[in-house]
Parts: sequence; C-alpha cells; structure tokens
Amino acid sequence: MSDSISSRLNPRAKWPIFIGMCLVAATIIYPLFFVVATSLRSNVDYKRDPFGLPSEWTIDNYLKLWNEYGVGRAFMNSLFVSLTSVTLILVFATLAGYALAKLPVFASKYFTATFVSVMLLPGPVLIIPIYLVLARLGIVGDYAGLILVYVATGLPFAIFFLTLTFRAIPDELLEAARVDGAGFYRTLWSIVRPMGGSGIATLAVLQFLGTWNELIFALILIPNAKMKLLTPTLSSIGKRFLTDQPLTSAGLFITAMVPLLLLAFASKYIMRGLQVGLSR
Amino acid sequence: MRQSKLIGTLAVLPSFIIVAGFMAFPVMFALYISFTKTNGLTYEWRGLDNYIALLTDPIVHQVFLNNFKFLISVPLVIFAALVCSILLFEQFKGWKFFRVIFFLPNVLSVAVIGLIFRNAFGYDGAVNQFLALFGAEPKQFFIDSNYSIFIIILALVWSGFGYQSLLLLAGLTAINPAVFEAAAIDGAGWWRRLWSITLPNIRKVIGFVFIINILYTFASLFGFVFVITAGGPGYETTTIDFLVYLRAFSSNNLGSGAALAVVLFLFIGLMTLLQNRVFKLQKDD
Repeated sequence: MSDSISSRLNPRAKWPIFIGMCLVAATIIYPLFFVVATSLRSNVDYKRDPFGLPSEWTIDNYLKLWNEYGVGRAFMNSLFVSLTSVTLILVFATLAGYALAKLPVFASKYFTATFVSVMLLPGPVLIIPIYLVLARLGIVGDYAGLILVYVATGLPFAIFFLTLTFRAIPDELLEAARVDGAGFYRTLWSIVRPMGGSGIATLAVLQFLGTWNELIFALILIPNAKMKLLTPTLSSIGKRFLTDQPLTSAGLFITAMVPLLLLAFASKYIMRGLQVGLSR
Repeated sequence: MRQSKLIGTLAVLPSFIIVAGFMAFPVMFALYISFTKTNGLTYEWRGLDNYIALLTDPIVHQVFLNNFKFLISVPLVIFAALVCSILLFEQFKGWKFFRVIFFLPNVLSVAVIGLIFRNAFGYDGAVNQFLALFGAEPKQFFIDSNYSIFIIILALVWSGFGYQSLLLLAGLTAINPAVFEAAAIDGAGWWRRLWSITLPNIRKVIGFVFIINILYTFASLFGFVFVITAGGPGYETTTIDFLVYLRAFSSNNLGSGAALAVVLFLFIGLMTLLQNRVFKLQKDD
C-alpha cells in the first residue's frame, strides 16, 4: 500500500497538503472552540474582548440555563425520549432484519418494498398528516406520540441496515443452532445478537444522534413548556437572548456535548455507518 | 418450514404496522387532505382548488425562487468536498484523525449549527466584532435578504462539505490502485492523473452527492431557516418546507399546506427517480 501512495504524489508535496488540511480543519474546530470559550465568561467580559480568552472563567451561564431556564429538564426529557426510541427501534429492527435476512417470510418482497419506498420520505411531507393522526389518537403533546414518530421514521433505515448486517452471518451457524434445538428467540439472542453486535452498535449510535438532534417533530408535537425537548428549548433561548451570546453559547455546548462525546468514544461505529449510508 | 414462515412474518409485522401506520398512511392522508378545505376537524372536498390556489399564490412563487437561490450552495459544497477528498486521499500522516474532524458538524443538530451561525452574524456576534477591529460599524445582517441567504448557504457549506468529502473519499478508495501505478509508469503527472483517472472514476459518486445536495436544499432546510432567520425578512428566506410548516400551524386551511407538501413530495420523488435512472445508465456503460 505504501508503494502505491508514494506513486501518487511526490512525498515532498505532502507538507503543503498537511498544512492546508490543518487550515480546513481549523474552520471546523475554531467556531466550536469559540462557542466553548464564550460560554465560560460573562457577557460584559465577552463584549470587552470577544476574541481573547475569558479574563475570568465562570460556569454561571451553565448554572443559570440548567436551573432557571429549563435546560436541565429539557436535557433529561431529550435523553429519555432518545433512549426509549432507540431501544424500541433496535428491538423491532432486529426482529424484522433477522427475519428478512435469514427466514422465509410471507410476501417478503412487499414488506421490503414498503420499507425502502418510505426511507427517503422528507419530514415536511409528514408534519401535517402526522399531527392530524396523532391528534385523532389523542397523543399530541404526549411523549408516546413523539416516540412513535421517531420509531416509525427510524425503522426503515434500521431494518435495511440490519438486514444487510445479518446476511453476513453464516447459514451453517444458524443451521447448527437449529439442530441443537435452539428456537427463534434463543438463536436471535445467542447467535444473531453477538454476531451482528458491531452492526447493532453502529445503528444504535446513528439512531441516537438522529433523535437527539431532531427539531421539527420535537417542536410541533410537544407544545407543553415543561415537557419540551432540548433542541426546541435551545432554539427558543437563542431567540430570547439575542444579546447575551455567552448564555446562548452555553446552551449550544450543552446540546452539542452529547453528540461530541459519542463521536469521541464511538467514532469507529459512526465511521462504519457512513459506508452503509453511501450504499443506500 | 411453514412454521418458520409464520415466525418470520410475525417478526416483521410489528415494524410493518408502525411504518405503515405512521409513515405510509400519513402520506396517503396528506394526499387526501390536499383535496379538501379543512381545519383538522371537518373536511370539505374541494378538488384541485388548493393546487390552483398555489399556482396563483405570489408567496409560493417567491418561496420556490428562494429554494433555487439556495441551490448556489450545491456547487460550493461539492467543490470544497472534492478538494478535501482528493487531498485526504494522499493519506498523509494523521489523515484518519482529519476524517473524524471533518465528520464533526455532521453529528451536531441543525439547531446547534444554525444558532452558531445566527450568533456569529448577530449584532454583537463574532463577525461584527471582527469587522470592528478594522473600524467598521456593526451591521444588522438579518434585515438584508442577500446577507441572510448568504449566511444560510454558509451554514450549509460548513456543515456539509466534511461528510461529503468522506463519501467522495470512499469512492476514491474503491479505485483500483493498479490504474494509478500504470499511469505513473507511463509518466503521467499528478494533475494529469487527477483529470484522466481520479475524476472520471468517481463521477458516479459525484453524481450521487450532487443529487443528495439538491434533495437536501429542497426538503431539509427547515432547521436552518427556523433557527437562523425564521424565514425573514418578509418571506425572503422562506423555503418550501418552512412554508409547509407556516401554513400548517398558522392558517385555518391545512389543505393548502398539505397541497404544498404533496408538490414537494412529487418533486423529490422525481429527483430520486432521475437519480436511479442516471445511475442505471452509468452502470451500463
């Protein structure tokens, strides 16, 4: 491999490329650094010297947001909704993915066609009818409705992804389990789950990011202020405190923190999901 | 065998019911609503009235035009992504680390990215503060539609180019290295190889990225518009998906919003078909 690399470009030319890439990376890193630095200072201090480091570091903005402006509650709400949605998606998608990958299914073509055809459905098309359907069921403003929507919109890709993952499990292994007398659930738990483990983990991370970051449905389906999720709370804080950038920056960092931690610790899984995203 | 067929079907059924009930059915329902005048409680059949009203609605015209303005972001994102992917492909020291950095904006919510840009261009935001270092007066960027559109495009480029450069990189890595070696032996220089081997070999991936960008500007700008400009000034930065939201929750006729959503849906369906068609054609040659 190292041979073919050096045949591509003169090794001396790699330094300018490296420096150029560092500059590009800086356009991504610096705004985030600026947000974090700004969030750790008072508004007066920010206005005095916005580009310097804080003259006095403080976590007041975080405390104020978390305790007084409902961000703490919203954070917990988002965590609850995201974790519940992801768990449900994983359970349903594992069942369906395993069946579609390895078991005979009645009219399986039609099931697959349904999942694939709604996979790229844009959210705006759904907002009016989903609102009306949930209103008819009486679950607008209820987490049950929002979670149902997240599960429904997440499932098509999840099933597609896990079907591909589970197809790679050797049939002999499943056959051996069947001969040993393992039933459906036993096979699923002791063979499919561990064999498809990294695929399931990738999916869990991607779906968590998706629900944690979602804005439209969180905005329109949960009107009650006490139940609001984090992204709508953040955007209303951004609108309310236009002139207090340190305060809104703290809100930004609180919202971004969870995905950033995931990227730091699970980048392996996220990068793997990327490849599948392409084959879609 | 029959037994396991039953089990398999039962395993798919819960997912199918949820997806059919909360995605497939709502789309059909939206189609029905679009032919009615409704407030969500009573439905009054109106035939094509909502669609005809859309055709003659100046706001709808403007909003479609706005969407086309946002298409400026497409070549910008692709160009930035292409340059980055070609440079990443040289696999210099630490390129894997850069991959993670480039992916970073992609894990952030549109609410977060939008607000970062809204803050940066706010009255006492970083951009004005920076211009002040050169003695410029602070500007109200968001009362000017050209600036507002530019800022949203900037947010699109900033948040999109990294991920797309990784998609293009995946395409580059799939090229057989022997082709490069053969060209190098034949004495083809770096630029020559870029034009004659690298770019032609990833034109399929470039095509894919091109289409997803167009789809994105038509169907997924809601978050940025909502957080950065709220559609203003006037309707100058309102996109189709944002107008669907505005019509849905501020007017007494949901049918009109639904009709707009259906038009958007048809447009996106058409683009997706076109994408499949283009990819099939390329597979044949």
